[in-house]
Amino acid sequence: MTSEAPPVSGLALQVKDLRVSYGPKRAVDGVSLDINEGEIFGLLGPNGAGKTSTLSAIEGLLNPTSGSILIRQVDARAHPGLAKALIGVQLQSTSFQSDLKISEIVKLYAGLYGVPLTKQAIFDRLTEIHLGDEASRRFSQLSGGQQKRLSLLIATVHDPPLVLLDEPTSGLDPQARRQLWDRIEGIRKSGRSILLTTHSMEEAQSVCDRVAIMDDGKILTVDTPAGLIEKHKDDPNVLAVARGQVTLEDVFIGLTGRELRE
Amino acid sequence: MSEPSAVTTQPASPPLRAPALSEIFRALLEADFTVQLRNNRALLLSFALPLVLLYALFASVAVKRRIILGDPEFKIAAALTLGMASIAILGYSMTVARDREKGVFQRLRVTPAPTWAIMTSRLLVQVAAMLAMALVVLVAANLFGWRIFSIADSNSPDPADSFVAYVLTFICLIFSSALFLSVGQALAGLVKSADTLNAVGRIAYLPLFALGLFSQSTVFGTTFELISRWSPGGTVETLLLGAMTPSSWNSDTWLALAVSTAYSVVFAGIGIRWFQWGAR
Repeated sequence: MTSEAPPVSGLALQVKDLRVSYGPKRAVDGVSLDINEGEIFGLLGPNGAGKTSTLSAIEGLLNPTSGSILIRQVDARAHPGLAKALIGVQLQSTSFQSDLKISEIVKLYAGLYGVPLTKQAIFDRLTEIHLGDEASRRFSQLSGGQQKRLSLLIATVHDPPLVLLDEPTSGLDPQARRQLWDRIEGIRKSGRSILLTTHSMEEAQSVCDRVAIMDDGKILTVDTPAGLIEKHKDDPNVLAVARGQVTLEDVFIGLTGRELRE
Repeated sequence: MSEPSAVTTQPASPPLRAPALSEIFRALLEADFTVQLRNNRALLLSFALPLVLLYALFASVAVKRRIILGDPEFKIAAALTLGMASIAILGYSMTVARDREKGVFQRLRVTPAPTWAIMTSRLLVQVAAMLAMALVVLVAANLFGWRIFSIADSNSPDPADSFVAYVLTFICLIFSSALFLSVGQALAGLVKSADTLNAVGRIAYLPLFALGLFSQSTVFGTTFELISRWSPGGTVETLLLGAMTPSSWNSDTWLALAVSTAYSVVFAGIGIRWFQWGAR
């Protein structure tokens, strides 16, 4: 049943007119986006905007109502097994089997992608993220930053061309966040593409090449962080919330509104 | 502590391929067996409970010199049934519910592993645990029956006398394990919260296992005995009783085989229809 991915096209991900519904509620409403090879693409949006649902559909956790998802030209809906082999995923809240040591967790996930790793190779990879001394500990015994680093290692254990990160730095202190940004940048430098969701404007500006702002299941605008500010700096809604020079956060609030989201 | 290295500079290594099913199964089974062996609670439920029941039942025979609930083979069948019910209802279903709450299944589902492979691996480990438990119980039964209490009447359990009895017993154990694992799957499908499932599982123990203890006894009347006999626990005990003494295999045993299969199909259907991979 082993099958191989087709040659590279220049696009790591193509999503067209994606729709996801939970009963009568439409969580994702006609989302289309392209992510280039070697690009870091950010999805910004308030709670309930549809970011995680979009990611879940691409990851194969949710069955879209309609639309197409091509990962390196592989139709993810028609060939989910091959498509999943092409992506690495870090979920918003990750947990692993509580009785496994972290070295065994790495071995398990490498095995699930058909990547046999020796004990030494596992140790080397853990050492690379400064968890070599923790190889015999359980996931729950790690700090938040260590857990995030391990999750990112597992997401990239098979060197996928596309990495999906759902709020990768939420709950981290500034030091750990900076370190994770460096690692994300490192993943990009190795030629991989990254789609991440975030609530942090600072993260979007520091890490992402392009950013899409989502609300109510729709993509409202897409551009580089600087391009978004330039494009929307004269929007009355943006000017109404700006305090001085227009920032990415002003653009975000101006486009998505000030009301609290649950 | 030194700073973690900033970047991973390994190049992506195309062409990527979907892993073979054998690779996926090897990884899942290795992890699931490791988890099972490390789970002290599961080990306790798997081995200690049936051995305690077996000891209690045989001790009661030794002390009172009379059979209270049934033949010695029935006591072994009851201990095996308790072991399987414990593994499936208190062990398997709880583990599934807890892992679901923690998001373990969602993490596995974003890998190329098919969902059926994720669950099949777990079920195979549980069947292996049940067969290991059965081996220990049968060995212990010989010890209890012949060396500790010296029950040397013609009905004493000595499955070693018959290779056929052993083979038949293990075949029927697989049918029985399917019944209890399908019950565990149904419970995990119907009850989402691990805490609630813990409580429901304990209550479900009564009709699923304890009721069957009276399947060979009319102490509470024949109607109760009939209900008890065709309860899941009673059905399994009847089946195992027939398997351990092949000469007594009769139409009731065949019916028990059919009923246990029917139970398995119904409970598995419920478990598959209402099972959810995520807690939300």
